Amino acid sequence: MIELEPALKSLTENKVEFVIIGGVAISAHGSAYLTQDFDFCYSRSKENLSKIVSALSSFNPRPRGFPVDLPYLFDETTLRNGTNFTFRTSIGDIDLLGEVAGVGIYDAVDTEAEIKNLLGYAVKVLSIEGLIRAKRAAGRTKDLLVLPELEALREVLSDEE
Amino acid sequence: MLWKVTKIIGMKKTPEEKLLNPKPGSKVAAAQEFGIDLTLLVENLRLTPDQRIRNLQKSMRNLHRLRQDAEVRGVQNHDRT
Repeated sequence: MIELEPALKSLTENKVEFVIIGGVAISAHGSAYLTQDFDFCYSRSKENLSKIVSALSSFNPRPRGFPVDLPYLFDETTLRNGTNFTFRTSIGDIDLLGEVAGVGIYDAVDTEAEIKNLLGYAVKVLSIEGLIRAKRAAGRTKDLLVLPELEALREVLSDEE
Repeated sequence: MLWKVTKIIGMKKTPEEKLLNPKPGSKVAAAQEFGIDLTLLVENLRLTPDQRIRNLQKSMRNLHRLRQDAEVRGVQNHDRT
C-alpha cells in the first residue's frame, strides 16, 4: 500500500518534474481499478535527479526484493545508473520510470499529461490516451485487463457522437 | 440557425448516458461484455479526480488492513496446529 499524500507533498514541495502514470492515474480518470503502488515518470535531468533524492530520501527507498542485510545508497549516482526503479519505502511502494513503453521518455510523457488537483496538489497525470498506449505496449495480462475500461472511458469522455 | 444548434445539442449524449445506454458496437458495449461494471464508472465520473483519489486511498487502506488481519489469523491458526 502507498500513502499518497506524503509522496505528493514531498514531490511537489521539492519541485520534482514528474508525471503520474499507472494505477493512480487510471483511478484519477475515473476507473474503478484498485492499485497498491504509486508510479511516476520522471525527468532524468541532473537537477531533477537531485530533487528526487531530496524528495524521497526521508522515506528510505530500497529496491523491492533487495537483500535486507545489504546496505543501499539512494543518491543521484544510483538514479543516474538506472532508468526504471521499483522501490519499497516507509510510505509504500513507489515506482520511478525514466521511460514509459508506448509513450517515451519524460518529455513525451509530459506532452500527454493533464494537470489535476489531487489531495490538494496540482500534479501532472498521464492522459487516458497515453495510458492506453502504455498498457498496450506493456502487454502483460494485468495491463491488458484494464484496457476495455480505459477505452470505454476515452469513448464516453470524447466529444464525438 | 437555432434549429441547427438545438439539433446539435440534442444529439450530444453525456458520458453518463453513454455508459447507461451503450451503443451496440461501441467501446462501452465491449467493456460491458468484457465484464466491466459500468455503474462503477458512472459513480466515479460523478466525482472529481481529487475525490476519486481519496476513495482510492481509503480502499488501499482497507485492503491493507484486511491483508494484515488475514496474516495475523494465519499465524494464530498455525500456532494452534
